[in-house]
Amino acid sequence: MSDITLSVKGLRKTIGKKEIIKGLDFDLKRGEVFGFLGPNGAGKTTTIRMLVGLIKPSSGSIEIGGYNVRKNFTKAMSQMGCIVENPELYSYLTGWENLEHFARMLPEVDRAYMEYVVDLVRLNERIHDQVKTYSLGMRQRLGIAQALLGKPKVLILDEPTNGLDPMGIREMRNFIRYLAEEEGLTVLVSSHLLSEIQLMCDRVAIISKGAVIKVDYVENLLAMQERVIWQVEPRETAKDILSEVTSVVEGPDGALITPYIENAASSWNRLLVEKGVEVKEMNRKLPALEDLFLELTGGESID
Amino acid sequence: MINLVKNEMLKIVRKKRILVVAGIIAVLVALFTYSQFREIERRLERFGDVDWRTTLQQQIIDTQNRITSSGISDEWKSELQLRIQQQQYYLDNDVNPMEPGAPTFVRTFAEHSINLFLPLMVMVVAADMVSSERSAGTVKLLLTRPVKRWRVLMSKYITLILSVSVIVVLFGLLSYLISGLIFGYQGWTAPVITGFNVEGNELNTNTVQMIPQWQYLLMEFSLVWFVALIVGTITFMLSVLIRNTPAGMGVMLAALISGAILSSMVSSWESAKYLFMINLNLTGYLSGQAPPIEGMTLGFSLLVLTIWGIAALIVSFAVFIRQDIY
Amino acid sequence: MRKYSVQMTLIFSVLSFLLMMFGLGWTIQNQFFSNGAAEVIEKAKPEKEASKKDGKVVVALGDSLTRGTGDDSGKGYIGYLVDELEEKSKEKITLHNFGVKGYRSNQLLNQVKQSEIQRQIKNADYILITIGGNDLFQSGQAFVDMDEKKITQARESYLKNLQAVLVELRSLNDHAAIFHIGLYNPFIDLNDSEQTTKIVRDWNYETNKLLDQQKQAIYVPTFDLFQLSVNDYLYTDKFHPNAEGYRLIAERVASLITW
Repeated sequence: MSDITLSVKGLRKTIGKKEIIKGLDFDLKRGEVFGFLGPNGAGKTTTIRMLVGLIKPSSGSIEIGGYNVRKNFTKAMSQMGCIVENPELYSYLTGWENLEHFARMLPEVDRAYMEYVVDLVRLNERIHDQVKTYSLGMRQRLGIAQALLGKPKVLILDEPTNGLDPMGIREMRNFIRYLAEEEGLTVLVSSHLLSEIQLMCDRVAIISKGAVIKVDYVENLLAMQERVIWQVEPRETAKDILSEVTSVVEGPDGALITPYIENAASSWNRLLVEKGVEVKEMNRKLPALEDLFLELTGGESID
Repeated sequence: MINLVKNEMLKIVRKKRILVVAGIIAVLVALFTYSQFREIERRLERFGDVDWRTTLQQQIIDTQNRITSSGISDEWKSELQLRIQQQQYYLDNDVNPMEPGAPTFVRTFAEHSINLFLPLMVMVVAADMVSSERSAGTVKLLLTRPVKRWRVLMSKYITLILSVSVIVVLFGLLSYLISGLIFGYQGWTAPVITGFNVEGNELNTNTVQMIPQWQYLLMEFSLVWFVALIVGTITFMLSVLIRNTPAGMGVMLAALISGAILSSMVSSWESAKYLFMINLNLTGYLSGQAPPIEGMTLGFSLLVLTIWGIAALIVSFAVFIRQDIY
Repeated sequence: MRKYSVQMTLIFSVLSFLLMMFGLGWTIQNQFFSNGAAEVIEKAKPEKEASKKDGKVVVALGDSLTRGTGDDSGKGYIGYLVDELEEKSKEKITLHNFGVKGYRSNQLLNQVKQSEIQRQIKNADYILITIGGNDLFQSGQAFVDMDEKKITQARESYLKNLQAVLVELRSLNDHAAIFHIGLYNPFIDLNDSEQTTKIVRDWNYETNKLLDQQKQAIYVPTFDLFQLSVNDYLYTDKFHPNAEGYRLIAERVASLITW
């Protein structure tokens, strides 16, 4: 069995004459948390709705667990659980009734597993109350319980931390990590919050204006832009010396900034010292995904 | 499929839709029972304890006098004429058209409810069956299950059929039970005359048959049910097409009310007979009322309604299966 | 309860559905594939109870005058008459008013042949008739043109009908007193009053003669009541009596009824 649980190829969606999604390709692997990052209106939600079969793609293919969503809808869907946007459940039913409702739409879910899922999302105490009395966090958790009912291989969560308080966000994050690491699920998480993706995901796809700009491991993305910050004296001399070997920018507080290149950085340092420059401080800095994002999208705004 | 229907039934029961409908019916039945009770009392006061023949004869005379008044439209006139002939037929055959008792009340109440009141009640259930899922967003969860879309919609439609059946039967039971408190529960076997044929202005009595009231009620209610089902189906289609529940209800309401108004004034607009809302008064054919447009028969109306129903279903499924859900 | 409500509703709804399906199938079978006559059920004819005789029964037959057209209170002479009789006799009076506006003698003849009307006539103590006005005044051009021949024709057929009505009434009920209210001349104030008066008088005369041949049949003249100040007693249509006019007629009839 292949490790690829969700595969998207050449996915496009055109509404009227406007192409909203301009050919997406990516694969998701077992046991990873995949981030879907982009500003509002980038096409995240449309893409997710195509993944779960709510919107028909104009072209391209989506396979979940090896089954094509268009051609083999029921098989594909039984591999997947999802929350699209807010976890909108039947507010006039109790949490348990909601679960029963969705369980009845699945081939076979026994009571014990339902109770296990309720346990997992820690809703045991309130499960027999009407959903309209739930807080947003509880609804979010019930939504996840519902998504887990079918024992899916892939979990698709659209903005799972939306509207949660910091406490709730952390809980959700840990829970998602748990599902991926311990239960071996593939989790696709969309968000417009960089910090969240950075903390939660293994890999991330950056999407802007309907196209994927980059797909890579979070560490790689960050490493790509790692830099060194120099505090040197005298500055002008140091700048001249460094600009001969690499690109130099003047940073704030009289610092000099160069890219970080393994092995090279220490030799630059030696060079400076040899030429009589005093190196007070030499810092390797991991940039935030934020900077990266701004760079990649050319300054497109993000919350 | 049974599981899916169970789901839909759960929603309807939890939304208390059927309870609301039952409540409305109960209140209305109580109102009408009371008003009829007053009517009978008033008649007693005026004429004394006369038997029904005298009352019926007096009604005939009154109607005859109304016909001769000036300023009465031709259509109305011919309708009154028919009524006289029918009442005379009842009188000649010594059959009381208004045998006192709850079954008679149920019969007349159903007759009056078929083209507006019951369709409205059906709307209460049908109007938001699909659109509420869309406006609440739950449709997203519903359609991402490993269940084909047509099965989801089919389960909703089956539930609609079942709910309509419940409403119609509840309507009968409630009106029987409540009105019986005043009028008594007897009268199931009283004879009722049906099968009048209206030909032009004349009442053709060749095909008339006299059947016990319970049989008549069964026939009447099955027709009421059929009408409710078709109205439900069309409302269901609107619920699929229009995301906004009140808007869908508004459209249906307008159609029903215009049907009620049109029925009394379209006799010269021949092609209106293909509109579903003109064909709702099926029980009129049983009791021998003049159809809104000449030449309409029970068979014709059943056919028109069936075609509308099937068309509405086709549209519902075609749209629902293809729709992109945003 | 909450737990089982869905299941109960489901079961109830399925049963309802089956019942309705069966009903519909049966209706279609009944309405389209069976000939009705075969299914006529035997009906136990209820005994027509002999009507309890407390008080007197008045049956009023005839045209708009019986109906009371022109009287704003809608009572007509019958209404005032019953009022007066009730006061006079202290007895309860049951009234059956079968008057229909525009009735002519031939229509009246048809009416008295209907079973229910006959049943009422049988129980009557007094029968009041106003008929003939429409035969004469509303016969179209004849009256306007004063076409002697046509008027005579109308009168002859009227008399024939009235004769038949009286015979019918008598055969049904041999004890009730029959009052026939004569015509007045609503056009007495207009031109040609001489001619119209003559026509009405002749009409009344012949009617009177006919009634005399029946026992307990009384002709009640009204011509003189309206003779002097006809406009005071006519409704705005200058044809039907107004309340005052009806009251006059009622008084006259009342004075003839005795116990």
